[in-house]
Amino acid sequence: MLQRLLAIVRKELISMLRDRRARMSLIIPPVIQLLIFAQAATMEVKNIELAIVDLDRGPAAAEIIQRLRGSPSFERLPQLPSVAAARAQVERENVIGILVLPSGFSAHVEAGRPTSAQLLLDGRRSNAAGITAQYVSTIVQNAGYALADQESLSAPAPRPEVVINNWFNPNLDYKWFILPNLVGNLSLGVALMLTALSVSRERELGTFDQTLVSPATPVEIALGKLLPPLLVACVQTSLYLVLVTQLYGVPFRGSIPLFYASVLTFAAACAGMGLFISSIAQTQQQAFLGAFAVLLPFALLSGFATPVENMPWWLQLVTGINPLAHMLRLMQGLFLKDASVASLAHSLGKLGLIALFTVTTSVLLFRRRAS
Amino acid sequence: MNGAVLESHGAESPARAHRWRSWWRQLSAIMLKEAKQVTRDPSSWIIAVFLPLTFLFLFGYGLSLDTTVVKVAVVREDSSQDARAFAARIEDSKWFLVVEAPNREAGKELLRDQAVKATIIIPGEFGQRLYSNSRGAQVQVLVDGAEPNTANFVRGYVGAIWAAFLAGRSMQQGSVANVPVSVEPRYWFNANAESRWFLIPGSITVIMTLIGTLLTALVIAREWERGTLEALYATPLTRGQILIGKTLPYFVLAMISTLVCVLTALILFHLPLRGSMLALGLVAAVFLFPALGQGLLISVTMRSQLAAAQLGLMTGYLPAIMLSGFLFDIHSMPAWLRAVTLLVPARYMNVSLQTIFLAGDVWAVLIPNMLFMLAVGTLFFGLTWRKLHKRVD
Repeated sequence: MLQRLLAIVRKELISMLRDRRARMSLIIPPVIQLLIFAQAATMEVKNIELAIVDLDRGPAAAEIIQRLRGSPSFERLPQLPSVAAARAQVERENVIGILVLPSGFSAHVEAGRPTSAQLLLDGRRSNAAGITAQYVSTIVQNAGYALADQESLSAPAPRPEVVINNWFNPNLDYKWFILPNLVGNLSLGVALMLTALSVSRERELGTFDQTLVSPATPVEIALGKLLPPLLVACVQTSLYLVLVTQLYGVPFRGSIPLFYASVLTFAAACAGMGLFISSIAQTQQQAFLGAFAVLLPFALLSGFATPVENMPWWLQLVTGINPLAHMLRLMQGLFLKDASVASLAHSLGKLGLIALFTVTTSVLLFRRRAS
Repeated sequence: MNGAVLESHGAESPARAHRWRSWWRQLSAIMLKEAKQVTRDPSSWIIAVFLPLTFLFLFGYGLSLDTTVVKVAVVREDSSQDARAFAARIEDSKWFLVVEAPNREAGKELLRDQAVKATIIIPGEFGQRLYSNSRGAQVQVLVDGAEPNTANFVRGYVGAIWAAFLAGRSMQQGSVANVPVSVEPRYWFNANAESRWFLIPGSITVIMTLIGTLLTALVIAREWERGTLEALYATPLTRGQILIGKTLPYFVLAMISTLVCVLTALILFHLPLRGSMLALGLVAAVFLFPALGQGLLISVTMRSQLAAAQLGLMTGYLPAIMLSGFLFDIHSMPAWLRAVTLLVPARYMNVSLQTIFLAGDVWAVLIPNMLFMLAVGTLFFGLTWRKLHKRVD
């Protein structure tokens, strides 16, 4: 049994790695993806272009503009004569918003009366706009405090304050969040796609019957299809682990054995789904489509794109069956948090259950369809 | 039509008209063959109707950057009235779901085990310090930074509660509010700054990319693999006819699915449509030109469907999610990467869809974006044209 299984695994590996192009396609693209997408995936807002309409022309307005210019987040701060002129710039997406400093602004500040500036933002990019609003608000408030302190002659009393400490990721570097996530996301795509197209390709090419008449039993053939993707996933994630920690300086605080246990369980869950799709599909195009029908929702609704907590409760329940959601928790816990083994084991256990389910059903289905 | 040609061209035209007629006949033959192949396959209908509907349903509900309720732990080490008042404000806020922790250690433990997103510590002597002129009072907040976006929201929320607390206190004391200058943000096109309003147009782009690029990526690779491309070459069909014939059925499928998506967005998720349906249809059609072109280019480059699928995954699906401005703002990317995004058709589609849904038919935005899509599409189709030799090697 073991011998036959190994023979099948070998055959699958050979057909997967047979030429240089195929071997390269398992190594080069994942690395490029990691490099490119790590740069792309940021929710920090940089290079902000904000229009300024200064109707005040007083010292307080000048101080605020000065401070905005001094901030590294802002790239361009064009001054425009009116809100109407600036609106056209917003509509064309040349600037993300307009800071309007109303007339009489400086006079209010000088007199010590609380006053406000208006910030008009492009709601089409409401997330980036919201973060921009936070930046501008902080800068304007600080300018206000500084100006108020200048006005009052007495020494300023210590201001009560909130001190914020970010754990696990002190500078809130978005890369620290996205890279462990990409490790999970990219291996999902590979493990799923490799298995999903495996049986349907043989069926389409007519070599499937040849495999079936070999002495191997259908269960052995199915397992033979499931194991190579696990191997590929292990190699790829090892590469990722090195890149993510060495090149990007993301800490890895957890245990290595637990990391590989997570990767293997996760890859098994994905390969199981892939085989399931492959057993049903008649053609590779159908299999490809089926794989995408699973891949896209799993990837986007895993907490990778937007947090799971923001979903309605019924959808949060559904994410319970999404292996990537558990994988991401594990990766975050392992890379950044050094979470307790107990809390990791919880996620790993759920992932294991999913893997058990997908592998068993797919092997059973494969056996039924093969006989 | 033929009559008109005959009249205007005199003696030369019968031959030309004949050529034109046979060209058209050949084209319709291959289109019919491809269309039959597509419609016969039940999965085509799944692609055109069921898939867009399900995806948009899931993404519409599931994707949101508007943090709803964040679980936080509160450690109150001070029993003064002010400390209790501040803790009560946190508890009453609609943003936080509070877990009380008896001491700092317990609060930190909850944070470490991913049970809460933040631990707010109101230290001993908080109340006294609030009235002291030498030592300012402090509230400490430990935030789970592993998810920077949520961390930023927590920071903003705590800041807002704190400002309200201070304002309430100074009002009681009869002094002026101590924020001298504030900023009033207002959102155009999306008054409540709902992230769904820009994520749904983005989702539509991703779904259209899936259909436009990924399905076509397998079309010619399949013929390579099965060896039927040689048979196709043996026919009198020209390269242009093969390309048009292969593409058009998918164009129709993608347009149907776009319509399904748009209707779902309007009816189920109540997105405003401030532009016109006409502009929407036009932009969708223009987008499909580079999207289909990219799929075909992959298809003629890769000789096996598996390789084509992988390349499609890498150059079609992932960029549509990561480099299109769907989740991550393109303006914040480094300059070299912004240059790369110029080749991603989805980025133009995203801006156009967001504009038509939320702002209106702003042609100053739509026309340049459509021109870029046409340019990218011409590039992709041109390369495909060159790669599709009519010979067997």
